[in-house]
Amino acid sequence: MNIELRVNEQDFRLVVEPDERLLDVLRERLGLIGTKEGCGEGECGACTILMDGKAVNSCLVLAAQAVGHELMTIEGVGDRLHPHPLQKSFVELGAVQCGFCTPGMILSAKALLDRNLQPSEEEIKEAMSGNLCRCTGYDKIVKAVQRAAEEVAR
Amino acid sequence: MSEAVVGTRIEREDGWGKVMGETHFPADVNRPGELYGAVLRSPHAHAHIRSVNVRAAAALPGVAGVFTAENVPHNAHGVLFRDQQVLVSERVRMVGDPIAAVVAETEKVARDAIARIEVDYQILPGLFDPEEAMKPDAPALHPDSHGSSNILYHLPIRRGDVQAGWAKADVVVEQEYRTQMLDHAFLQPEAVVAYVDERGHLVVKVATQYAHYDRGEIAHALGLKYSQVRVKTMAVGGAFGGREDISLQIIAGLMAWKTGKPVKMENTRTESFLSHSKRHPMRLYYKTGATREGKLVALEAKIIGDAGAYSSWSPNVLRKAAVHATGPYEIPNVQIDSYAVLTNNPYTGAMRAFGAAQPVLAYESQMDLLAEALGLSPLEMRLRNIFQVGSVTATGQMLTSSVGMTKCLQALTPYLATKGDAS
Repeated sequence: MNIELRVNEQDFRLVVEPDERLLDVLRERLGLIGTKEGCGEGECGACTILMDGKAVNSCLVLAAQAVGHELMTIEGVGDRLHPHPLQKSFVELGAVQCGFCTPGMILSAKALLDRNLQPSEEEIKEAMSGNLCRCTGYDKIVKAVQRAAEEVAR
Repeated sequence: MSEAVVGTRIEREDGWGKVMGETHFPADVNRPGELYGAVLRSPHAHAHIRSVNVRAAAALPGVAGVFTAENVPHNAHGVLFRDQQVLVSERVRMVGDPIAAVVAETEKVARDAIARIEVDYQILPGLFDPEEAMKPDAPALHPDSHGSSNILYHLPIRRGDVQAGWAKADVVVEQEYRTQMLDHAFLQPEAVVAYVDERGHLVVKVATQYAHYDRGEIAHALGLKYSQVRVKTMAVGGAFGGREDISLQIIAGLMAWKTGKPVKMENTRTESFLSHSKRHPMRLYYKTGATREGKLVALEAKIIGDAGAYSSWSPNVLRKAAVHATGPYEIPNVQIDSYAVLTNNPYTGAMRAFGAAQPVLAYESQMDLLAEALGLSPLEMRLRNIFQVGSVTATGQMLTSSVGMTKCLQALTPYLATKGDAS
């Protein structure tokens, strides 16, 4: 089927299978490999992207369901010259270990900060609860989100 | 190294790539013209394979090759013993054992083809209890590699005279402890890309903890020279010991070598659980004695680790469990016996602490029970027995420096007092 997707403020015309997952379209057809697959069933959050500003598991969304929505992957969050405060704080506070959960973590955190610039620790934990880190770096991840919130608010 | 580094924050050099989503894990690598591989795994824990029929799979359009045990030049691998087959020829020893592999134009075709392979299994009774598997009349699971017994490894440690120790003991605590099997569940499922480069060398891109070992095992299994194989370690999405054994490296390498095409393979989460090692469940039988003054005088410990279907690192893990069996406490009379036992459970290997984690449950629980029996605080019980400079361990090592545990416990004392635990 023919679809149009808007990803990171760019429009793409694509031919996809009706049962193709958004995750696979992003990774395989658009080469946006920053979106990861850890479980394929919405448990781990490694495939988190933003859909109209909300964090969603792209393994549970069909590509066709994403038509008409504004999508953002980690590649659209920032770049090395203009990193998002979250990207900066994750590196500076050591919230990155193996890095496989990191893109999803940053996108879930971004969805939070885009609507709440003064999140409490509890609100941060709740917003990130769909994202697993197996290196168990949660403490630093929470601190990185707090620091980024302060920087964005400034 | 400069002491100025300690206590400061160092930015990891790979951090920026990871926060930008630029970092390549093996599943993020693609080669032009690559094929896709998939593995058929056994649903049975113990079985004899009567036959494998791959005709329907091979006939499926888009399939470039089907591989079984007979296509593997040297069908064995393993970190300590080569007791694990690349593709099982006759005897399945655990759920998840690989039977056949398909390489095809797409993942979908490869997985469809796998479903068309017919395996005729003669299901055998499984050995799932390591203490049953230890018995002399238990059927041997690895007669060729490990002889007539399933006891893969036994380490006895003796110090002093335990009988004399029991004679001095005013209290004795005897307990059995069990720990469970765990999966590392590293977040990035195994993936690999293998191809033949412009020099005719096999290149295997993989997330591994042990690239030089992978290289040797791939070369051995395929009958290649060491110099013909190159293993490139990509970003590793968590490992925790679970990437120390071979996973898909040899199968992907074999299919790339035979087809001449790049081959990509990715485990689903389910396949990941089915195929890599686990943490050893251990049974720990502890008998510990102390005097009225709270000094430990004797320990008898029997530790049985479930090695599962293949040896992997089991001897080393059970050695470490034995060496750590007293905990950080000086005990003059010690008798420790540690065993690794083969069963039909998932194979167990390296995982964080490598055998040192499981005995903690036993020896620290014993300390608490002894403290209670003696009317001492748990902290005091430990302070009276903890290793000092000059202590001799159960294995006969005299500790000569860097023994900071007393200081460590003393530093904790005010904290424990505020919690009411250091009474």
